[in-house]
Amino acid sequence: MYLVYTLFFMLFVSSFMIMFERRVYRIIIYTCVFSLLISLIYLVLGSPDVAMAEAAIGTYAIIFFIVVAERYYGREAIKTTFIPSSKNKKSGFFIKTSLAFVFVSIVAGLFIAFSPSMDANLYLRDQFILRAYEEVGGQNIIGNILMGYRLYDTLFEALALVIAVMAVGNFSWLDREQATPIDSSEVKRDRVAVYSIRIISPIILLFGIYLIINGHISAGGGFQGGVAVACFFICRYMIHNIHDMPVKKVLKLEEIIFVTLVLVAVVAVFFDVSTFVEHEYLTIYQNIHLVVVNSLVGIKVACGFIVLFYRYITIERA
Amino acid sequence: MEIFGIRFLELLPIALFFIAIFGLITANNAIKSVIYMIMLNGAVIIYWIALGSRVGTIPPILETVYHVELHFYEFADPVPQALMITTIIIGFCVTAVNIIMLNTLHRRYKTTDWNTMFDLVKEEISERQNEGKKEAQG
Repeated sequence: MYLVYTLFFMLFVSSFMIMFERRVYRIIIYTCVFSLLISLIYLVLGSPDVAMAEAAIGTYAIIFFIVVAERYYGREAIKTTFIPSSKNKKSGFFIKTSLAFVFVSIVAGLFIAFSPSMDANLYLRDQFILRAYEEVGGQNIIGNILMGYRLYDTLFEALALVIAVMAVGNFSWLDREQATPIDSSEVKRDRVAVYSIRIISPIILLFGIYLIINGHISAGGGFQGGVAVACFFICRYMIHNIHDMPVKKVLKLEEIIFVTLVLVAVVAVFFDVSTFVEHEYLTIYQNIHLVVVNSLVGIKVACGFIVLFYRYITIERA
Repeated sequence: MEIFGIRFLELLPIALFFIAIFGLITANNAIKSVIYMIMLNGAVIIYWIALGSRVGTIPPILETVYHVELHFYEFADPVPQALMITTIIIGFCVTAVNIIMLNTLHRRYKTTDWNTMFDLVKEEISERQNEGKKEAQG
């Protein structure tokens, strides 16, 4: 248990370093460290699925931050790039800070004073652990909840991702600004990095496919595997350094797969297999359902993340 | 270990949450604001995962029947974990849209500093009002 407290201490240190640092690239590196520590804490507290999702998400968010910071502050003077302070210094900085501190401490005190300290309610947990394997068919209970019991929740989560991808496309002028396939980045590429990425990238793709297909048996699932597959396309961009991804077609593919996912969910709920299949063969059908839903979610998430990455790269060169 | 009647492991994410809120209030730069939003999201997720680990910290993946019988009272609660995966994805969507909106602001005002940006917005508003007055007079 002391490991958790050590990780928490490092987490607080990194958050304070983010707060007091003024150099842009260092702030981004500390955010990277923060994300890594948070995912380690999830892992120690017994939730490998959430840890995997957080690590993947952290990677992507850092890439976006680096692209944006490079565009704003330039790529030349990395060591001396401070966040520029405002030209007209507002007076009363200490008053503002102390008022914020008082406000936050009062709200935190109220939160602690009235927060619930009751015993954990274990009814749902026990039911899931006892019955999930028979009813849905996977050994990973979290995958069972996401793809079986609460499948419609997953649909709305997928819908939120589709909407976010479309919003990013609109905000970055998808119709007007598109890089041609011949365009290549001006950034000087390190030869060692390119060769090591060449070796690693097929392993990343294989790992993503493994996570998707094996998601109902061990930790992983459609979402985490989809992000890993999308990471393969980042590697591909870094090796070949050209813009040959048809972004609009990928976006269309994502929408089509989302509609397919909705249809599969409706069919799976309203035509229950367990009524007309013998009990011996039920597990096979349940596993087919889980694999199909997992791979649909995986392909959809991969398409969405590829679109996000290529739109952000277009910002860099615009 | 309990302090104020709350488990210490659940008190730490609450503290992190309020550090992030303090940062959001006092942040001068837009990039830092987005990073504090990420911290806020992370603090909430740690709180729920810590609630789920009250019972035990073995991941809820059933390997064999023997494994289930042996560790039944040490499995972590799968319900908050399944909810938190959804939260992570929604948080990422918020981050992506935040950064692209920040880019739009930077295109228009050429700065990421909040104070400078507010001044520019005030100037724009006053210019528009002056134009409106001129049109009304003319």
